[in-house]
Amino acid sequence: MQDGTSAPQKIALRTDGRNRRTDSARLRRLNILVGALSLPLFVGLWELASRSGAVNMVLFPPPTVVAAAVLEWIRSGQFLGDLSASLLRVTTGFIVGGALGILLGILTGQFPVVSSLLSPLFHILRPIPPIAFVPIVILWFGLSEAGKLFLVVWGVFFTVWLSTHIGVQKVDRGLIRAALMLGTPRRQMLQEIVLLGALPYIVVGLRTAVSISFYTLVAAELAGTFAGIVYRIEIAQQNMQTGQVMGGLAALGLISFIADRLFAALAERTVWWR
Amino acid sequence: MSGSRSIVKLALASPPVSVESARTQPAIQVSNLSIVFDTKRGQTIAVDRVSFDVAPGEFVCIVGPSGCGKSTVLNTIAGLEVPFEGDILVEGSPVYAPRPDVGMVFQQPHLFPWKSVRRNIAHGPRMHGKSKADANAIADDLIAMIGLKRFADAYPNTLSGGMQQRVAIARALANQPRVLLMDEPFGALDAQTRAVMQDNLLELRDRIKATIVFVTHDIDEAIVLADRVLIMSAGPGRILRDVAVKLPRPRSSSIMVEPTYLSLKKDCLDVIRAEGLRAFNQSDAS
Ligand SMILES: Nc1ncnc2c1ncn2[C@@H]1O[C@H](COP(=O)(O)OP(=O)(O)OP(=O)(O)O)[C@@H](O)[C@H]1O
Ligand SMILES: [Mg+2]
Repeated sequence: MQDGTSAPQKIALRTDGRNRRTDSARLRRLNILVGALSLPLFVGLWELASRSGAVNMVLFPPPTVVAAAVLEWIRSGQFLGDLSASLLRVTTGFIVGGALGILLGILTGQFPVVSSLLSPLFHILRPIPPIAFVPIVILWFGLSEAGKLFLVVWGVFFTVWLSTHIGVQKVDRGLIRAALMLGTPRRQMLQEIVLLGALPYIVVGLRTAVSISFYTLVAAELAGTFAGIVYRIEIAQQNMQTGQVMGGLAALGLISFIADRLFAALAERTVWWR
Repeated sequence: MSGSRSIVKLALASPPVSVESARTQPAIQVSNLSIVFDTKRGQTIAVDRVSFDVAPGEFVCIVGPSGCGKSTVLNTIAGLEVPFEGDILVEGSPVYAPRPDVGMVFQQPHLFPWKSVRRNIAHGPRMHGKSKADANAIADDLIAMIGLKRFADAYPNTLSGGMQQRVAIARALANQPRVLLMDEPFGALDAQTRAVMQDNLLELRDRIKATIVFVTHDIDEAIVLADRVLIMSAGPGRILRDVAVKLPRPRSSSIMVEPTYLSLKKDCLDVIRAEGLRAFNQSDAS
């Protein structure tokens, strides 16, 4: 209680922006630089390898040839059609499958009766790879878009359902009790506390489902269609246009990469309190 | 709403209740309460025939060793746990489920992490049909009361443990409960913060006039806060002693050096020590 010392002074802040963290910042900058060089290095090596004559250039075309094929693909106007056809399938499938998964996950997670009714069925169906459904989907839906949608929805649904189900069961009991004590009615409890409490799990499930939806898209388009990126890859393969095949693969990789990144950024914003 | 409830109460009270007895009706009546849990290894008796009353406006502390069933008793009064046997009446009516006139503060703050301090506190009033503006007004009053004006729009993960617990208390008070149950609310705090929080609570209590049941295993905390201290035995929990704390109010934690305080504490510690020895010998024998 004695006032032996004077009021503590604040430490002096450096104005030159240097502190002990500067060294680690330098290391980080180096890493970024190396990271930026990674792709060009890889592409350069590929170009050299395929032009060296050691491999068959028709089967293993250099990046310049691939780029030319992609340019041609874009210029012909087909790329836009393929891209939008594929994106439409993926997004509708993702939204429908995701919404169903969240809805049923909340129901099975929250109500034991619903869980007893549905969970055994879901657990049996879930491990079947969506690709295995291609034959039956063709029988049921022919080459229609409904069949494609079915496959993507199927792939997305189970992942989202399971993670939502687990998320709901892992909602902090303390939060629920606190909400109960505050007089939160059942409906609000589900809509607010349970849904938001499970959100971190749901978001992880949805993110996994992003890549699953692309993976089922491949199966869906290989099953026969008239436009789409994977469809284009298949056509190019039949015509021995290896450059176009590789361009298609690169496009597919790029799109799903962007989708994943966008989703990750979105997810971070959705569950910011974590 | 309170009007209709009092009509029902009058209609149910068959022998005419005198004004005197209505005034002295306990806020909480626990009679012969036993609670049994089903576990994998059979049934455990958590609480064994506990009875006590709490008068309106009284501040009662329950102390006892870890695992003796303090939380269980409190949860049952709150309506979160179902009694195996016995009855609980709050304000004269039986408890079946959480009720708006009973508030609870848990050992952990359990704030909604996606809500700001204001919206956490406004949650209860919102759930009871108050408009957003009214609920926020209630919240802002309480925020001023707990001294967190600067943090009204902050989110729980940016608050210290003590601040979070103050918000949790304010959140429970926002519904203006007649009975406030507190389960070791300061148990996770350091000694300094805890002393500050105890003083805060005593101050707050003078303003809200709620009946408070406060669980702790810190005998000092119990004597500083309470009008009465109930000492529980090691599990299965029973009430060993009911100690009246006749220390003057307003109090603060500085009371802990007074001779009357110390002799009270000695009495309590004697009971606890005897019980500890008994429990130890018993576990040795079995
Ligand atoms: N949900 C439950 N299922 C089974 N047993 C339980 C459950 N809750 C509590 N118990 C048992 O009941 C007894 C009393 O627990 P309780 O949590 O009420 O103790 P406590 O006095 O609050 O302890 P602490 O001071 O550690 O919080 C313990 O033996 C505990 O194992
Ligand atoms: Mg406890």
